[in-house]
Amino acid sequence: MYRWDFSPVVANADLLVAGLLNTLKITGTALVFGVALGLVLALLRLSQQRLASWPAGFVIEVFRTTPPLVQLFWFFFALPLIVGIEMTPFMAAAVTFSIQSAAFFAEVFRAGIVSIERGQWEGARAIGMTRSQTLQRIVLPQAVKRMIPAFMERAIELMKTTTLVATISYADLLFAANEIAQKTFRPLETFTVVALIYFVVIFAVSLIARQIERRLAVSGESTVH
Amino acid sequence: MGHRWDFSSVLANTDALLVGAIGTLHIFAICLVLGLSLGLVVGLGRYSRNGWFYFPATAFVEFFRNTPVLVQILWFYFALPILLPFEISPLAAASLGISLNSAAFSAEIYRGGIQSIEPGQWDGARALGMRWGQVMRRIVLPQAIKRMLPALTNRAIEIFKMTTLASAVAYVELLQQGKLIASLNFNPIEAYTAIAVIFFICLWPLVQLSYLLERRLRRDE
Repeated sequence: MYRWDFSPVVANADLLVAGLLNTLKITGTALVFGVALGLVLALLRLSQQRLASWPAGFVIEVFRTTPPLVQLFWFFFALPLIVGIEMTPFMAAAVTFSIQSAAFFAEVFRAGIVSIERGQWEGARAIGMTRSQTLQRIVLPQAVKRMIPAFMERAIELMKTTTLVATISYADLLFAANEIAQKTFRPLETFTVVALIYFVVIFAVSLIARQIERRLAVSGESTVH
Repeated sequence: MGHRWDFSSVLANTDALLVGAIGTLHIFAICLVLGLSLGLVVGLGRYSRNGWFYFPATAFVEFFRNTPVLVQILWFYFALPILLPFEISPLAAASLGISLNSAAFSAEIYRGGIQSIEPGQWDGARALGMRWGQVMRRIVLPQAIKRMLPALTNRAIEIFKMTTLASAVAYVELLQQGKLIASLNFNPIEAYTAIAVIFFICLWPLVQLSYLLERRLRRDE
């Protein structure tokens, strides 16, 4: 029988904490840029102008249909050679996950915006609002509420996807696990603890998301996915 | 800027890419079959009113949905062999991680699909004297499958994308071969671009299919 011993993992708790902080840092960065860029992409995609909607659609399709790890490798190994600037693992990861999650957020925004009844647009036009005023003051505030569940789901997916940064040596939580496992020869305990840390953090966010979704359902709010 | 693209060094390694493509298709097929069939079992467990089925199925779904796949793969590769008297191959570790993860996600698709079938269908079939298993097989699942098809297609796409994670445990698939070509020929730009294009070409038709299925379902209902 194997004798479990967690003390070597506990002794390296500082590495785990540093790793978790880096995981949160890359998730937060990609979330902020992803949401902002996602809104821009969605608006471009919904535009009547082919010159705006077509490239936006192309970016969304490419980043939704290629594997995130391929994207990460491309931005880390290929892009720096093309543009001639050094990329740290953090920069490459931030760029990749921002654009990638933007592509998914764009579809969430788009679904939210088109879910708002035409009458709302017509009403706003009738009282003299321009298209962007209608969007800002009437459509988006209502759409955002409907998008919250899909939005939280994407944020959770993003956090799970950030583990890929370990493959380009960014010191996230998974990278810390690799390091500790090699140092202590305790891969079983280390990877089990790290899996549990991920579970606790992500499950907590999932529970909050479900709670919000339930509250929206109770208030009779429809949601988009 | 000013990089001169030259794909000849990638084209000279077509055989290596082919080996990678076969590896990708191999693990994709395993995970698709295992993931979707195990998902049905777990989904039925989630649907069950019997606590002995419901609670283990729920724990399974929650655990595998709320941890990253890469962590699961590395756990199966580095941690599990400590408990077992034998080694775990990269293919086995990656297949286990991806299949169990996909089972957890597809379980929720199956459960949602089964729940979407009106109770009247159950009542009617029971009135005809069918047993639970018969109702499920002959009445409920055939109708539910149609509603689940777009979501299951999306799952298949996700599984295809996830197969790249097998490269983290050095399983020979497309991305792993791309790494190899890039390091041997010093052509990361062309090598990784080629890999991205190959994945896009493979997945784009599947994505279009999922859109088509979604539209058709919306029209029919």
